[in-house]
Amino acid sequence: MRIHCFQNSYFIFRINMLSNMAQMPALIPKEVEIQRLKKIWLIVIAMGSTAASVEVDNFVDGSLHQTSIRDSAFTPAHWWLYSHFITLPLGWGASAIYDRKVPVLRGPNNSMNTGLKMTILGYLATMFTIGVNEMWHFWFVEEIFAVPNHWMFNMGVVVAFMGALAYVVRVYARLVELGAETPGENPYVAEMYKMALEGKLYSRAIP
Amino acid sequence: MTLPKGFGSGSAGGSSSADIERMIGKRVENMTGMITISFWAALIATFGGTAAGYFYYPWAYPTASGHFAFIVLTIIETIGYIFCVKVMEEGSNKNSNGIIGASVAGAVVFVLFVSLYVGW
Repeated sequence: MRIHCFQNSYFIFRINMLSNMAQMPALIPKEVEIQRLKKIWLIVIAMGSTAASVEVDNFVDGSLHQTSIRDSAFTPAHWWLYSHFITLPLGWGASAIYDRKVPVLRGPNNSMNTGLKMTILGYLATMFTIGVNEMWHFWFVEEIFAVPNHWMFNMGVVVAFMGALAYVVRVYARLVELGAETPGENPYVAEMYKMALEGKLYSRAIP
Repeated sequence: MTLPKGFGSGSAGGSSSADIERMIGKRVENMTGMITISFWAALIATFGGTAAGYFYYPWAYPTASGHFAFIVLTIIETIGYIFCVKVMEEGSNKNSNGIIGASVAGAVVFVLFVSLYVGW
């Protein structure tokens, strides 16, 4: 019977993984990968435009409420405000389905991308907190930012945003690694990209 | 390079340019038409949203606010549209500056017309 133990090659593999993170093995032809990443990037730009427009609609909604105190889900400013509840889930869903064709965007064991997992986890926490929040406000009506029932809202949203940002940055960084995008002209940013391409960005201790 | 099942010539394992084309499908640099149609669909939907304010809720949604929102949103959508086409075509020898220029100019004329003549 063979007793399972970690062999030395396991640690060497980990060291290689850590020092060469920027140099992922090419599992699909480079041109195919660039095209697929750019299709994901199209979805990202569309979602970004939607999110920016909804930020503007915060002001439109404020304008509406200068004259109308009563609220309903069907005022124009609200159709527009709530449009991102349709656009963003559809967009992220499309990204999550399509990125199965891009090996570098897979999570451990060929699962969903870790950034998207974090986003889902963060918003699940937020959804759970809606119930907690309703129970709290049954007893205490004032909306004070720092009350405990809001903590998990804020933590959930931060985790979700971090995950989404990690995903978007990974797509862009991979486009840079493949030479499809030019890194920034800021010399510090350019140096970071250069180090990433040499596999030295994440650890200066292991050359 | 190892290719997915169904690609490649069989035992040899090499990939041909025809295989790569099949894996890519529609190339992003050829999506300018679809992106332009999406931009105009977004613009008309935006007008629909503000038009509901001009025509249905004029007492609750001041026309000037609607026009302001429509102008700012058109700028945002136009920036997104230009980014989309430019990023998709970079690195290729495609150039759709004419389509982008005509589309953006059309959007400017449309927004000016709406802002000056609609809802007042």
